[in-house]
Amino acid sequence: MLVMKNLSKVYRTAMIETHALRGFDIHVREGEFVAVTGPSGSGKTTFLNIAGLLEEFTSGEYHLDGKDVRGLGDDARSRLRNEKLGFIFQGFNLIPDLDLYQNVEVPLRYRGLGRAERRTRIEEALAQVGLASRMRHYPAELSGGQQQRVAIARALAGKPRVLLADEPTGNLDSQMARSVLELLEEINAGGTTILMVTHDPELAARAKRNVHIIDGQVSDLVHEPVLRAVDAAAAP
Amino acid sequence: MHLHPILSALLRSKTGAALIVAQVALTLAIVCNALFVIDARLATAARPSGVDDAGVFQLTYYGIGTIPDPAAMMQRDLEVLKAIPGVIAAADVNSFPISRSGWNMGLSADPTRAESVIGAGVYFSGESVVDAFGLRLVEGRDFEPADVRELTARNGNLQADTVILSRHLARQLLPDEATVVGKTIHLGAGADAHPMRVVGVVDTLMSSSGQASPDAHRAFILPVRYFSDRAQYAVRTAPADRARVMAEAEKALTALRKDRVLTNHRSMSEIRETRYRQENAGANMLIAVVVGLLVVTAGGIVGVSSIWVSQRRKQIGVRRALGARRSDILRYFLSENLLITTTGIVLGVGLALGLNQYLVSHVELARLPSGYIVAGVPAMWALGVIAVLGPAWRAAAVPPAVATRTT
Amino acid sequence: MFGHYLALGVRHLRRNPVLTALMVVTLGVGVAASMATLTVLRAMSGDPIPHKSDRLFAPRVDIRPDDASDPDPEPPLQLAYRDAVALHGARRGVRQTVLYGVAPAIDPGRPDLPPFFSNGIAVHADFFAMFDVPFVKGGAWSADDDTRGGRVVVVRQSLATRLFGSAEPIGQSVKLRDRDYVVTGVVADAWDPLPRFYRQIGGQGAFTGMEDVYVPFATAIAAELDQNGSTSCYNSGDNDVPGFEGLKQSQCVWLQLWVELASAGDAAAYRDFLAGYMAEQRKLGRFPRGDNYRLHDVMGWLDANQVVAEDSRLQTYVAFGFLLVCLVNTIGLMLAKFTARRGEIGVRRALGARRLAVFQQHLIEAGVIGLVGGAVGLVLTLGFLWLIGRQSTQLAVLARMDWVMFAATFALAIVASLLAGLLPTWRAMQVQPALQLKSQ
Repeated sequence: MLVMKNLSKVYRTAMIETHALRGFDIHVREGEFVAVTGPSGSGKTTFLNIAGLLEEFTSGEYHLDGKDVRGLGDDARSRLRNEKLGFIFQGFNLIPDLDLYQNVEVPLRYRGLGRAERRTRIEEALAQVGLASRMRHYPAELSGGQQQRVAIARALAGKPRVLLADEPTGNLDSQMARSVLELLEEINAGGTTILMVTHDPELAARAKRNVHIIDGQVSDLVHEPVLRAVDAAAAP
Repeated sequence: MHLHPILSALLRSKTGAALIVAQVALTLAIVCNALFVIDARLATAARPSGVDDAGVFQLTYYGIGTIPDPAAMMQRDLEVLKAIPGVIAAADVNSFPISRSGWNMGLSADPTRAESVIGAGVYFSGESVVDAFGLRLVEGRDFEPADVRELTARNGNLQADTVILSRHLARQLLPDEATVVGKTIHLGAGADAHPMRVVGVVDTLMSSSGQASPDAHRAFILPVRYFSDRAQYAVRTAPADRARVMAEAEKALTALRKDRVLTNHRSMSEIRETRYRQENAGANMLIAVVVGLLVVTAGGIVGVSSIWVSQRRKQIGVRRALGARRSDILRYFLSENLLITTTGIVLGVGLALGLNQYLVSHVELARLPSGYIVAGVPAMWALGVIAVLGPAWRAAAVPPAVATRTT
Repeated sequence: MFGHYLALGVRHLRRNPVLTALMVVTLGVGVAASMATLTVLRAMSGDPIPHKSDRLFAPRVDIRPDDASDPDPEPPLQLAYRDAVALHGARRGVRQTVLYGVAPAIDPGRPDLPPFFSNGIAVHADFFAMFDVPFVKGGAWSADDDTRGGRVVVVRQSLATRLFGSAEPIGQSVKLRDRDYVVTGVVADAWDPLPRFYRQIGGQGAFTGMEDVYVPFATAIAAELDQNGSTSCYNSGDNDVPGFEGLKQSQCVWLQLWVELASAGDAAAYRDFLAGYMAEQRKLGRFPRGDNYRLHDVMGWLDANQVVAEDSRLQTYVAFGFLLVCLVNTIGLMLAKFTARRGEIGVRRALGARRLAVFQQHLIEAGVIGLVGGAVGLVLTLGFLWLIGRQSTQLAVLARMDWVMFAATFALAIVASLLAGLLPTWRAMQVQPALQLKSQ
């Protein structure tokens, strides 16, 4: 589903060269629930940005759902993002001017779906996160946990192949965090691949697979030996 | 003043700063030129015509057909007018200064040289124009009855043997003479030039066209009583009496005859107002634009500065946390603003001169006197400071606690 | 998506009413000042008779003595009687008329309506066809009346109503200055060409009152109707013969001649004719300044008469300068507005918005600002027009709103707003899609 081979990302300014990712290899299969952990500055944010086609990389390969993304133009990347990916941010990032319905609608409009189709999907997505009754409310009227669920609904409405989450429970208290995590597990059970960045080891433990990043390189701690064997078999 | 960090911070938000600079520059350029034009227009409208504006009025009748007895008509009219209480003087007259309707004739000091002819406005009357207009004699005397010639419209030339000049005209005709009374000048030039003796000089008298240039002060008076189908009179009263006398005069003269129609009945103030309506209203229009420009530019500075302040909230909080006082923050934003407006002003001065050059060649405008720029520069500085005061104050009010918030 | 972006734009405007008001008023004021001055300028410099303006010509010949007293190279604007009649008599061109202003007293002979002075011109019968003057009743006088100077007159609709009420005006008598004239035609009140290009200097200026009386030229001369306008005399010997007859014989200029040619190309031939006439007259000792003549078509004539006031031109320049400053101001405010919204743009990009979509959304928002600014500008334009109109009765006539201006105000506001929005929108487009949005 999501394959990176020998990927590297270098940030260059006038005086300094920073290697955020070096020789990065990862293979996420369809249906996996992967937690990406690592200390701050390790490069997990960079990894997520690249995985989410929000940034370009310096060298290496990245295949998303079988498609080589190297050299794709901005428009093509926007389209891929819209169709194949869903995002859940730490800061919810709902648009405050729009109500819940309209917030969930944003990516659907960019896809060019018709009004009826959009309506169906939005209602479905909001129902899935349990907020269908508050469709016309504004984000300011909701609690932190509810806002995050709306963000999830927004991510789901597009029926993405991969859900990318960046510290999805970072701004929530433990009870809300738990309910969000349950929701994520539910979604994963339904077949959606989830890639979650977190520094919370408890959260990481709930995921089925952990990937640890240190100094820009993968250190696949938990299931490493098993995957290596599987990799060898599955390598094209 | 720590110029360097301010400069480098500004360079990062180049566009916003550039836009303020552009506005300040354009505004300075336009305002300087506009104020110049406004001043010129208002100065033109403020020129005294020589006539006692508050006390003089015009009364004109035109015969429906040919008037059979114009001399008798004029005599009777003047008798009736002078009898009205409050009338200081009345005279038959061919036109009024700055009324845009009148006569122009050429005078020359040396009739053998046709190129020395100077065109000037001419007023003629059988009575005293000096008294009726309220003019001020500065040399010589007014006409005497012996000077007066009579002329019927349909025969003969307009000429007399004596003349009263305006001071401006006297200086142009006879620049080398200390005193012109007693000297001879000529109506026209060449073989038909008619010599006249100067008997008096009045301080100020404008021609009927009252044009913007100094040539408007070229005028002279001839002692000629002119009989035609038109009966036009200038009447002078004390300012307080004018309205009453105007009404009585019209009533009295209209009742005298049935074979003529009243065509003009207005005070000198009205004549002045009509003549300078364009200058005044044009100046008002430009004043509105100048005010608008200043408000818009100030508004722009307020707007952009406010956005900058809110964008840099965290940075301000950090500075305060690190020990900056409110006055330091205030000073920072004022310096930043000063830097921007100064750049704009420097550009604006060049733009003002360039704009003036363009206007000089495309529209009738004189060169911009440096006084306008000298006054405009501190004004724009002041505008900038006043505009940024509000946002800068709000910036200074940002509490240091902002530094530690995660947003 | 257009409708959606439109709705988004409106919504964003409502979000920050102070900033919106600032932008909209700034734009509106700049647009208003420019539109008002431009309208007046356009009315002043427009072609009053576009389908014919290149076929109607006014000649000027230089009658001035050859001395240095008048260094202006341009010949006088009017003609002397001798020249006007001679040129007219040569029968060149399809139609011709001599023209001068008259203001005969009208005595309606009614106790309720005392005598008053009219505003008129003395013309040949061709005048009406030449200048496409519409009649509501009757028409011009006959060719016979034109040549012999019959006692006939054409009046304007408003005058006819004033004199005769609802009675039939054709055939009625009007007493002009002790003589009776028969009305042969009534000119429509709707005929109101601005500027009054055919009688520029004969009357009180290019934009003042319309004449209500048209008298045959021959009749006016025979009746010695005094000129209502300006007379310029160049020789002191001009006053030797007294009165009206003296005026006719003199070198004073007080008349105009208009000639309608078959096509604009015939002007060259007419110029040759003028040169030939002047050469002929020079043998008699006239025209000492030589071959100095002009032949103006309508627009050239308006130019020579300096119809477009310098002040109006200056005011237009200043107004557009003002608009420029308002535009720069609007760019700044829009830029600030879009910058503050960087976060939201980043989110939209992350969710799949292409750069083009961001461009469209923000340009349309700029357009909405332009639309509202246009509405504000429309109201303010009325204010500016009033200010301009106070300058003179002439300008009060010109400073009026019409449908073209109405539409143009909105168009200018929207175009200006879109132009101002280009830079801020381009900047908005550059915003990278982002997960981390608080990194300012």
